[in-house]
Amino acid sequence: MLVLDHIGKTYPNGVHALGGVSLEVELGEIVAVIGGSGCGKSTLLRAIAGLDPASEGRVVLDGERIGAPHEKIGIIFQEPRLLPWLKVADNVGFGLNGRPKAERAERVSAALRRVGLADKASVWPRELSGGQAQRVAIARALVPRPEVLLLDEPFSALDAFTRTDLQDHLLDLWADAKPTLILVTHDVDEAIVLADRITVMCPRPGRIFDEIQVDLARPRDRQSAAFDFVKRRVLAALDRSLNRAPIGPGEEQKADEGAAMWW
Amino acid sequence: MSLVSMTLAAEGTPARERSAASRRARFIRPALGLIVPLVLALAWEIVVRLGWSTGRLAPPPSVIFQTFVDLARTGELQRDTIVTLSRVAAGFALGAGVATVVGAATGYSPLLRRLLDPSLQALRAIPSIAWIPLFILWLGIFEASKVTLIAVGVFFPVYLGLMGAIQSVDRKLVEVGRAFRLSDVEMVRRILLPAVLPAYVISLRSGLGLGWMFVVAAELMGASEGLGYLLIDGQQLGKPAEIIAAIVAFAIVGKATDWLIALAAAPFLRWEDVVRSE
Repeated sequence: MLVLDHIGKTYPNGVHALGGVSLEVELGEIVAVIGGSGCGKSTLLRAIAGLDPASEGRVVLDGERIGAPHEKIGIIFQEPRLLPWLKVADNVGFGLNGRPKAERAERVSAALRRVGLADKASVWPRELSGGQAQRVAIARALVPRPEVLLLDEPFSALDAFTRTDLQDHLLDLWADAKPTLILVTHDVDEAIVLADRITVMCPRPGRIFDEIQVDLARPRDRQSAAFDFVKRRVLAALDRSLNRAPIGPGEEQKADEGAAMWW
Repeated sequence: MSLVSMTLAAEGTPARERSAASRRARFIRPALGLIVPLVLALAWEIVVRLGWSTGRLAPPPSVIFQTFVDLARTGELQRDTIVTLSRVAAGFALGAGVATVVGAATGYSPLLRRLLDPSLQALRAIPSIAWIPLFILWLGIFEASKVTLIAVGVFFPVYLGLMGAIQSVDRKLVEVGRAFRLSDVEMVRRILLPAVLPAYVISLRSGLGLGWMFVVAAELMGASEGLGYLLIDGQQLGKPAEIIAAIVAFAIVGKATDWLIALAAAPFLRWEDVVRSE
């Protein structure tokens, strides 16, 4: 289980990016973190990853405190960030350096087949399209079999078609080993398609504003009424989070009339 | 036509056709580079043959070619070329080697950079000729002082280039290294060095160019063999053809060594995603 215990982050220049975020994530759960700009979602993710450790609070994974990048935690960024001097297969195998060559080759080719890029193993990263490169990045992150996979707006740089394609693909890959996924996104549809739980954050300082369970059966139909209902709840919560309207203990979470664009 | 079949049609352009065209291009491109010097040489030859110039101070290509042949016949040309070439090679190996180590260290460690860089920048400002009396005093008038002078010349472009390149490595790629928990040594070896390779090769070629410059300075100040010596010899004996022959030899050998570096580095730079100017 991944436990975030009152995570706070203040940057050296004084910016108070996160103020007391607490969250418990079960193994195998998919949690989406969504919120307006400046609400600290990426900061939170990087704190969990250990890239920018929190200034207050603790990140605990399976009882072990996380303060630096850990082998059980993988991360995927908004850009594919493939190493341009390595071919695709070498990029995918990058995290497996300590392993014997045969094992590495086997796991790499299995991963490439899984993301549908087996024929691109000997290709340079510069020859890949955006969607293909991001798939290679996903393969690279999944190959070391992490327990927790963090995704920082992984599909926001891609076009709508590729995005929906990769969302479905990600669920497919997740079903293999069922790692815990924590996904930061600003695409509400993406959050609802993928997540078991959607955490809405609000800014200044970043903290959790609301949590919405998504109890729909997978595969989720983007056109269904149930999907739409959840979407309205999320959009309403986002609206309220940005108005910084305090939400009282007994207040009902009702969708506002005509809750539409939240930015 | 569907998207798939259109793509297949485009990729179906006979590969043979395309590679034949590129093979032709690969011969034509260097040949184009020879056109300007050949035209100028021809023009000068004609000017002298027609008597518009005596060709005494600026001998025509035919005389220069004859000088080359004479020098080659006595073995002087080969000897001088090899001597100068080996000085440059030794100086380059020394200077580039030290510069790579120091540049990598100062590029990676801010502390080392603050300790060493100011002094090195100050040394860099000293003109090459100024080093000569000191090196002759310390290292004598034979090979050691010459090779050291060349090494000094090669050092600075390589050092600066490498240090600057390491500092400019994309932070996003370094983060990938951090996310995969690379140690300091692994970070340098697996991410920083490959990332800076293109800039490093450019700094090596730049250093080599300076090495050639410094070898002339070294040989002008007291040598009994070498292309620089040939230069001085031509001047003192009043043989302009010999001077120009030495200059042409410098040009050819210098270009050849630069081409060698580019050739050796090319397979390691195939991954680059840049506009190719080759």
